[in-house]
Amino acid sequence: MATVHLPAANRPARRPSLRRSLSRSVVYIILLMGTAVTLVPFIWVLMTSLKPASEIVKVPPSFFPERWTLQSYQTIFSDPGVPLARFYLNSLFVAGSRVLITLFTSSLAGYIFARYTFAGKNVLFVFILAQLMIPFQVVMIPAYLILVQLHLVDTLWGLIIPSMVDAFGIFLMRQFVESLPSELLDAGRIDGASEFGIYWRIVLPQMGAALATLGIFTFMATWNDYLWPLIVITTHEKRTLPLLLTWYNSQHGTRYDLTMAASVLVLLPILLIFVLFQRWIVRGVALTGFK
Amino acid sequence: MAKLTVARERGGAQPRQGLRVAQRRFVVGALTPIMAYMLFFSLFPMIWAVALGFFDYSPVRGGSGFLGLGDANPFVGLDNYRNMFSQSQPARVFRLAVGNTLLFALLVLPLNLAITLPLALLVDSVHDRLKGLFRAIYFLPTISAAVAVALMWGYIYHPQQGLLNTTIRAIGLTPPRSWLTDPQAFVLGVPLAMVAVIIAYVWQDFGYNLVIFIAALQGIPRELRDAARVDGASAWQEFWGIILPLLKPTLLFVCALTMISSLQTFVVFQVMTNGGPRNQTTPLVMSIYENAFRYQSMGWAAAISMVLFLMILGITAIQFRVLRTDWEY
Repeated sequence: MATVHLPAANRPARRPSLRRSLSRSVVYIILLMGTAVTLVPFIWVLMTSLKPASEIVKVPPSFFPERWTLQSYQTIFSDPGVPLARFYLNSLFVAGSRVLITLFTSSLAGYIFARYTFAGKNVLFVFILAQLMIPFQVVMIPAYLILVQLHLVDTLWGLIIPSMVDAFGIFLMRQFVESLPSELLDAGRIDGASEFGIYWRIVLPQMGAALATLGIFTFMATWNDYLWPLIVITTHEKRTLPLLLTWYNSQHGTRYDLTMAASVLVLLPILLIFVLFQRWIVRGVALTGFK
Repeated sequence: MAKLTVARERGGAQPRQGLRVAQRRFVVGALTPIMAYMLFFSLFPMIWAVALGFFDYSPVRGGSGFLGLGDANPFVGLDNYRNMFSQSQPARVFRLAVGNTLLFALLVLPLNLAITLPLALLVDSVHDRLKGLFRAIYFLPTISAAVAVALMWGYIYHPQQGLLNTTIRAIGLTPPRSWLTDPQAFVLGVPLAMVAVIIAYVWQDFGYNLVIFIAALQGIPRELRDAARVDGASAWQEFWGIILPLLKPTLLFVCALTMISSLQTFVVFQVMTNGGPRNQTTPLVMSIYENAFRYQSMGWAAAISMVLFLMILGITAIQFRVLRTDWEY
């Protein structure tokens, strides 16, 4: 994984280069058109979800509801076949567990690879990096067969256990620990802390920025994950939100008011996270090329 | 893994004996489970997948040998790979899938770059606060669940009620009869359904590369661009002479990343078209998924997954080779 260069610190506000020939207004018009193309589909989904069922079949459809209503949401919330809280909890449980476990294993291994020397260290680290080359779609068949043997098929743990160690996370954490000043570690040693104590009480609190980045991305990737849950989960009550969404669509294919409302319900938590952590997320992508 | 001699990397003085033992215990104790886990959940499945490709394996038949291989799931050598060139129906679908996957990746890449690179230059040229705002907005689709995005676009493409056809009709043009289900519709030889999926995919995906390009542009020293200005270079010359050469490492990285992730795309296809019409939008991953988990022919599916693996490996190798030329500025 190549690293993209850090953005330069505060740059002068005057930008004479491109701006001179491309007039400002043209730049803004293009940027606003891009904004429209990006946002209109979202708004269209939201507007559709606020229409009454009778307006859905109208041709041509209007962009905004003629009569605004929360009917579709009420229908979903009151549907006994769709215990929404259950599905949110499933997704939250899987994503939360994966975040905590990944952060722990990545930071621990990353710290060790950054700060200890031992025989075979480089070989081990190259082995870890080599795991980055293995696409999930190639190992998903054996991974499923392993879950069968472990009796984890159709369990939420089956979504967590195969991805508790993240090679990229270890790589990221190693890079980060290497950038920390080593005086911090020595302070811990003088106090007579155990090795794990140094990691847990001194190193880990210093890793906030890296932990936040890795945590947010692990959370989003797990929350939006579809293929692996599709393979593992069969029981309705164990579905995660993306699985719920396709199932709901298969039940109510032509009721776009309902499926779009369900989409809004799935999209909303992630959009909220994005609004809250926008800086971390964008910086994380820029620095690491996270995908 | 067996023998670990631990010493502090930075710290100068030789650590005391007791500390060394404690450190060794810590390193071994922490790394052993992590490495064992990786062997079991990453390397072992990879080897297993390679092995499966040489067997006629189905999980519904209980083979007697190790991992259920052998006996009812016989070793067939290269038969799975030989079958890829046969006239059987699965082989034909497989070859279509290879073509679809390559077509998809080769169209997504230039389309993505044609949008993200100019857009990054424009975003980079505006005031810092607005830059952050535009960047955040353009990044929204990438964080959205692919399933929701695919459903959203499926509805946008709806022949009667969809936003797209409504807009096309409103400006007085005739929209296509069906974006996602008409096997006879082509755009410059590309199936219309494929074009529709590509548009939806690029819409969701462009934010990544945009953000990476913006960061890279900010990393180009101002003096270089200012110097070009002073020398009287036009914006066009500045782009070709200064910006593009300095963006080269980023560009290569982005190309590889975009290619690899489009080769692995599954969700938009599955949700928007389910591979149709007439397998015109069946990608390799769908072919792996269907064969393994719907038809239970996992040996055949594993062999297909090896083809995908080699394609991805090839792109990674090309990227590493080209990137080896170091760029300093």
